Amino acid sequence: MFDELRAIQREFGFLPAEELHRLSLKLKLPVSQIHAVASFYPTFNLAAPAKLDVRVCSDMTCHLRGADELRCAIERAFQGAPENEISVRTASCLGRCDTAPAVFVNDTIYSGLRAEQVTEMLRGASAGRPLPPVPRDHSKPVLATDPYAGRSDYRGVRRLLETKDFLGTIATLKASGLRGLGGAGFPTGTKWEIVRNAPGSTKYIVCNADESEPGTVKDRFIMEHIPHLVIEGMILAGLVTGARKGILYIRHEYEEPKEILQEEINRCYRIGALGSSIFGHSSGFDLSIFTSPGGYVCGEESALLEAIEGKRSEPRNKPPFPGNQGLWGMPTAINNVETFTVATAILVHGLEWYKAQGLNGLPGLKFVAVSGDVERPGIFEVPMGISYDDLIYKHAGGIRAGGKLLGFAPSGPSSGYLPAEMTKLPLDFNAVAAAGSMVGSGAIVVCAEGRCMLDMALNSVRFFRNESCGKCVPCRLGSQKLVTLLTQWTKGKAAPGDRQTIEDLFQAMRMSSICGLGQIIHAPIASVLKHFPSQVEAHTQRQQCPAGVCFQA
Amino acid sequence: MPQPTATRIVDVPLVELTIDDCPVLVPAGTTIFDAARSLNVRIPTLCHQQNENPVGVCRMCVVDIGQRVYAASCIRPVEAGMKVKTCTDEVKSVRRTLLELLLADHPSPCARQESTGDCEVERLGAEAGIVSSRFPPRPTPRGRDESSAAIAVDFEACILCDRCIRGCSEVRHNFVLARRGKGYQAGISFDDNLPMGESSCVSCGECMVSCPTGALTNRKVISTELGEGAPLSVQELRSLDVFSEVSGTFLSLNSNAVQKRFYKPGEIVCREGDYGSTAFYIVSGKADVFLSGPMGHVTTKAKSHGLLRKLKAAISPRAQNRRDEEGEEAHDRPFIPIDAPVDLPYANPIAELEAGDLFGEMTCMNQYPRSATVRAQTDCVMLEMLRNVLDVLQRNKTFRARLEQNYRKRALESQLRSIPIFSSLTPDFIEHLRDKVELRRYNAGQIICKQGEAAHSFFLVRIGFVKVSQAHPGGDLVLGYIGRGGFFGELSLLGEGIRTASCVAMDHVEAVQIRATEFQEMIERFPEIGRQLREAARQRIDENRKRVKMVQNVPVDSFLSQGLLEAQSLLILDLERCTRCDQCVRACADAHDGVSRLIRDGLRWDKYLVATSCRHCKDPLCMVGCPVGSIRRRNSLEIVIEDWCIGCGLCANNCPYGNINMHPFDVRVEDLVNPGKKIAEVRTKATACNLCLDQEEPSCVYACPHDAAHRVNPREFFAEQVRTGKAPVAIDSPARSGGR
Repeated sequence: MFDELRAIQREFGFLPAEELHRLSLKLKLPVSQIHAVASFYPTFNLAAPAKLDVRVCSDMTCHLRGADELRCAIERAFQGAPENEISVRTASCLGRCDTAPAVFVNDTIYSGLRAEQVTEMLRGASAGRPLPPVPRDHSKPVLATDPYAGRSDYRGVRRLLETKDFLGTIATLKASGLRGLGGAGFPTGTKWEIVRNAPGSTKYIVCNADESEPGTVKDRFIMEHIPHLVIEGMILAGLVTGARKGILYIRHEYEEPKEILQEEINRCYRIGALGSSIFGHSSGFDLSIFTSPGGYVCGEESALLEAIEGKRSEPRNKPPFPGNQGLWGMPTAINNVETFTVATAILVHGLEWYKAQGLNGLPGLKFVAVSGDVERPGIFEVPMGISYDDLIYKHAGGIRAGGKLLGFAPSGPSSGYLPAEMTKLPLDFNAVAAAGSMVGSGAIVVCAEGRCMLDMALNSVRFFRNESCGKCVPCRLGSQKLVTLLTQWTKGKAAPGDRQTIEDLFQAMRMSSICGLGQIIHAPIASVLKHFPSQVEAHTQRQQCPAGVCFQA
Repeated sequence: MPQPTATRIVDVPLVELTIDDCPVLVPAGTTIFDAARSLNVRIPTLCHQQNENPVGVCRMCVVDIGQRVYAASCIRPVEAGMKVKTCTDEVKSVRRTLLELLLADHPSPCARQESTGDCEVERLGAEAGIVSSRFPPRPTPRGRDESSAAIAVDFEACILCDRCIRGCSEVRHNFVLARRGKGYQAGISFDDNLPMGESSCVSCGECMVSCPTGALTNRKVISTELGEGAPLSVQELRSLDVFSEVSGTFLSLNSNAVQKRFYKPGEIVCREGDYGSTAFYIVSGKADVFLSGPMGHVTTKAKSHGLLRKLKAAISPRAQNRRDEEGEEAHDRPFIPIDAPVDLPYANPIAELEAGDLFGEMTCMNQYPRSATVRAQTDCVMLEMLRNVLDVLQRNKTFRARLEQNYRKRALESQLRSIPIFSSLTPDFIEHLRDKVELRRYNAGQIICKQGEAAHSFFLVRIGFVKVSQAHPGGDLVLGYIGRGGFFGELSLLGEGIRTASCVAMDHVEAVQIRATEFQEMIERFPEIGRQLREAARQRIDENRKRVKMVQNVPVDSFLSQGLLEAQSLLILDLERCTRCDQCVRACADAHDGVSRLIRDGLRWDKYLVATSCRHCKDPLCMVGCPVGSIRRRNSLEIVIEDWCIGCGLCANNCPYGNINMHPFDVRVEDLVNPGKKIAEVRTKATACNLCLDQEEPSCVYACPHDAAHRVNPREFFAEQVRTGKAPVAIDSPARSGGR
C-alpha cells in the first residue's frame, strides 16, 4: 500500500483522486480505506503542494535551538510570495536533535544551519537552483558495545547455530536483566520466551527503529555505526523464537541509516548470515527494511504493526499482546534498535562483561543523547549508573554560553521535566522512576536558566497533540483541550477551577487512553506544576512570564 | 450399548470472576461488558453497539480491574480471578471527564436530540449531572454535509465512535464510510472524502441507525408505509418498553412501518395460510391462536362397487396414515409448531397469546404464509410491524434477551416434548435447561455447523429453515429441511463429537442452542433418550451406507443427477406399449375428486418415461417454508404431508416438478365471526401421489389398458437394467413393491 502511494506521489507530487480510485481497483480495496490510510500520514499530500514545501521542526530541542526564529525568518524572506511557490509549516521532530534546528525542504532534511543560510538556500531553490546535498558524518567512533570493532563475522549467530542452546540464550538474557530500551522496559528474555512458546509456525521479529520522540536520536547513531549488532540481534531473536522473517521498521526521515543497514543486510546475504540456510545450517532467516509512512504514534508497537499491515497506524486494544498475536495475527517479538544491539553484545561479549560495565553495581552500557542548551550536544555511550551531572557537564560540555542549568528532561517530553538539583540522580531505571520520572530512551534535553518551563510544557503537550492518532476520546480530545488551556495560561488567562479541571483531565487521560501516548500526555505539565510551581503561578496569578518568553503578542 | 462416558465433547471452558464483588461464571472469551450484563450491571458506553464488533474507542465503558490503567470492558475478555469494579468514584469521575470532553465539542441539543430526544452523549451527560462542560469548545467548525437526499450529516456532532463505519462495512458491506485524517483533525468521510450525495453511498440508512448522536440523521423524505391504523409518534413508540433502546432516528424514518392496531374480542388478527409480511407485538390484551381447518389427510374411498368404481376423497385422521415401519410414537407429534412463542397441542390446537408476545416472525422475516389464525380474546392493542422494524428490534440484545426468556418460558418445553425421543424428560430437567439454552440468529446462507468439524451443541429450530446435507462422492445429498419445531446436531454429540452433516441456514434462521455440557447431562440422567438417539443414529448411518453403495453400483449419471435413485418409488410408463391414451391421468383424476395428481410427462430413460409424481427428492424444496412443518420427512427419506396441513399452497408452489396438488374439499368449520356456530366452507389441503395406498393398486396402473404403467422400486429396477445391459425386463413384480 505505502509503496504504491509513494510511487503515485513521486509521479504527481501528490495523490490525485483518480489515482486513488485506480489504486482501489488494483488493490481490490475500497477507496474509503485507501483514503483513510493516505489521509492519516502527513507525508502524503492529498492536494498539490507548493513548489517549495518547507517544514520546520518545532519540538523541544529545536524549539530550544531557535526553530521559531528560523520559521519566522523564512516567512519574512518570502512574504508576499504566491501560495503555490512556497508553503512554510511546522513539522514534528525530524530526528536531528543533536544538530538542531532541523528543517525539511521537499523531502530533504537540513540541520545545524543558521537562519540566513536556510533562507539563502531557499531563495536559490526558488530561483531554480538545485537544493544542495546534505553533508554526511563519516566519523568512526570506537564503541565498547561492539565486540567486532566495526566488521562483524556474526560470531554470536554461528555459535548459537552450533550449540543450539536456545533456552540457554533466553536464560542469559534473563540473567542479564536486560529490559526493552525503547521506553516501556519489558524484560527481553521473557519476551523472546513468550514468542518461542507461542503456538504456530509463522512468527515474526520486528525491530522498532521508528524513534520519533523529541530528543531521541540514539537509535540513529547505533544504526549508522554498529548496524551489524542490530541485525545480529534480530537473527538471534529469530533463531531463539523460531521466527523466519524479520522486519526492520525505520522512520522515513532516516535515509542514511537505512542505506547503511541495507548495505549490511546485503553483506549478510553474501556471507550467509541471512537467507534460507544460515552458515550452511538448516535454520533460515530473512530480513527486510520497512520504511515508516511517518508519525510518532507508529513507534507504539501495535500501531507499528498496523502500519506494516498497510492500515492507519492506530494502537490496538491490548491484550492480546504482540508476543501472542502480533503482525498479521502471528506471534511477534518486537524490540527497539538498542535492545537488539545490547542483546547481541551480551551474547557475544558474555554475561560477565555486561555486568561489569555499569557503575555502582549496575550492569551495562547505555546510549544517550544530550541535546538542548548544552555546549556539545551529541550521542554518548555511557555506563549505567553515571549521574546526569556527568552527562550534562562532562560529556555534553556543560550549559551553553556559560549559562546555568534550570531543568532537564531525562527522556524527552514523556519523562516530564526535573529541576537542576536532580542532576545528582544516577542513570538508573529504578532511581529515576522513584523520583517520578523515567530513564526511558535516554533522550536528555537540557533547559538553561532563562527558559520558561510553562512554555516548554506547552511545547511538549503540543507535540503529543499533533501526534495523537485520534482513535480514542481521552487522547484525541484531551490533548487538544490541554493545549488550549495551557495556551491560555501562557497568556495569563486562568480560571479559578482550572487546576482541578486539569487534574481530572490528567486522571482521565492516564487511566483510560488506549496506549502509552495518551497515558503520558500530562507528564510535561504535571512535572512543571510539581517542580516549577512559581513559574506557572507567575503566569496565572500575576500575568508575568519570568523568562520573558510568553506575552509577546 | 456404548456408555455415555465414551462420548467426546468439545466445549468452551468457563471462567470465574467477580464484578462489583458479585461472582459470575461465563464462557472464556466473553467480554467484561457482556459478563456484567449477565448480572444486570449496566456499564455506560457510546461506541459499543451490540451488533458490531467492539473497538473500544470511546472509553466510556472503562472499569477498574486492579491494573495500572483501566480496561475498556466492551473489548477486554474476562480472565480467571479478575476483580472488576464498574462504578467506583474514580471510574465515574473518569467517565464524567470523558463526557465533558465530548460535550465541549458537541452542539447541544444536536439534531437527534432536537427531533427525537435520544442523543446518547447528551443523555449520558444529563445522567452524570453535567450542566456545562469545563473545557473550551472546538476552535474551528467542522461543518455539515447536506448533499444526500436521505441523510443529513452534521460533522459537529460526530464523536468518532466508529459505529457508522462498522455499520457500513461490517453490517452492510458497503465500505463507503471510513475515518479520515489524524488526531484532533480526524473525522468520518465518504469514499475519498466526497460529499455523501456524490459518494458511492446507497442510502441504506445503516449509518444513521447506528449513529448515537445528531451526526447522521434522517432527512424525512423517505417513508415506508404500512396500511392505515393509528399512527404512532416517535415519543409514543420509545415510551414502549420494547422500543426504548431503538434509535429514534430510525423510528422517525420508519414511523409508518409500525402501526398500532386495536382489536375487539372475537376480531380476527390474521388467518392461517394468508400471505403477509408483518409481525405482531401484543401491547395489551389476550388473543387465541389456533388452527381452524380440520385435522386429517385427504384419502380416497371407494363409494360403490361394480364396474364403474366411484372414488371419493375424504378426510381421515392421522392414525390411518401410519406406516408400517414407524413405531407408535414416530409421528405422533404432540405439538404443532407455529409462528408464535407457543406451540399448539395436537389434540386441541389452540393456545393463548398475551401481552409481551411477538408472533408472525416467520411471515415477517421470511415471507412465509401465516401458520395459524389469531383472534382477539379480550380488547387487544397490538403493534404490527414490517421487517425493517423487527430487524432493528432483534438487533437489540435487551429485546432479544426478552424474546429468549419468553421462549424459554413458553416454547422450550413443548418443542422438546414434541420430539418423541425427548418425551421422557422430567419437568425439573427442563427447568434446569431453561437458563442454559441460548438463542442464535443466522442469515441466509450462513453455515451453522459443518460436516467434519468438532461438535459442541445441539440445536432446536425456532424460526426459518435449515438445510441438512451430507457430502458424498458425486455431490451433496440433502437429508432434509428442518423448520420450526425440528432439531439437529444430536448425532454428532453422541458419536465421535464430529459433525456428520452440514447445516446451512436457508433463510433467516433462529435456533436454540443447547451446549454439549447440558446435552451430555441430559443423556446421563435419561439413559433411555441416549439409547433411542443412538438407535436412530445407527439406522441413519446404515441408510447412508446403503445409499452410498447404491451410488457406487449404478453409474447412471443422468439418473443420479435427477435424483431418481433417491426416489423410493417411481411411476414409469413403458413407451413401447403406451399409446398416449391418457387413461392413467383420467383414472387418477377420477380417484381424487377430479384433480389429477399425475402428469404424463417427465424424464425419459431408454424406453421408459418417468411420470410426474412425487419422487421424494434428494433436495425436497417443497419442505422449505411450510409454516406449520406439516410437510416433512420422518425417519426415512420419504416425504409425508401431515394432517395439520393448513392448505396454504406454498409446498405446491415450491415443488419444481409440479408433483404436489392443492386438493379442495367441502368441510364444516367453526365460524370465526360467530364462535360456536359451524359453517360450510371449501378448504384445501396439499396432496401428493400416495400410491392410492388405500386401494389394492394405484388407480393409474389399474386403469392402463396396455399394461404400460408400472410402479417400481427404482433401486431394484435400475440395478437390474444395468446388470442386464439395459435389456428390457418384464416388470411383473406387484406394483406395491416400490411403496415399501
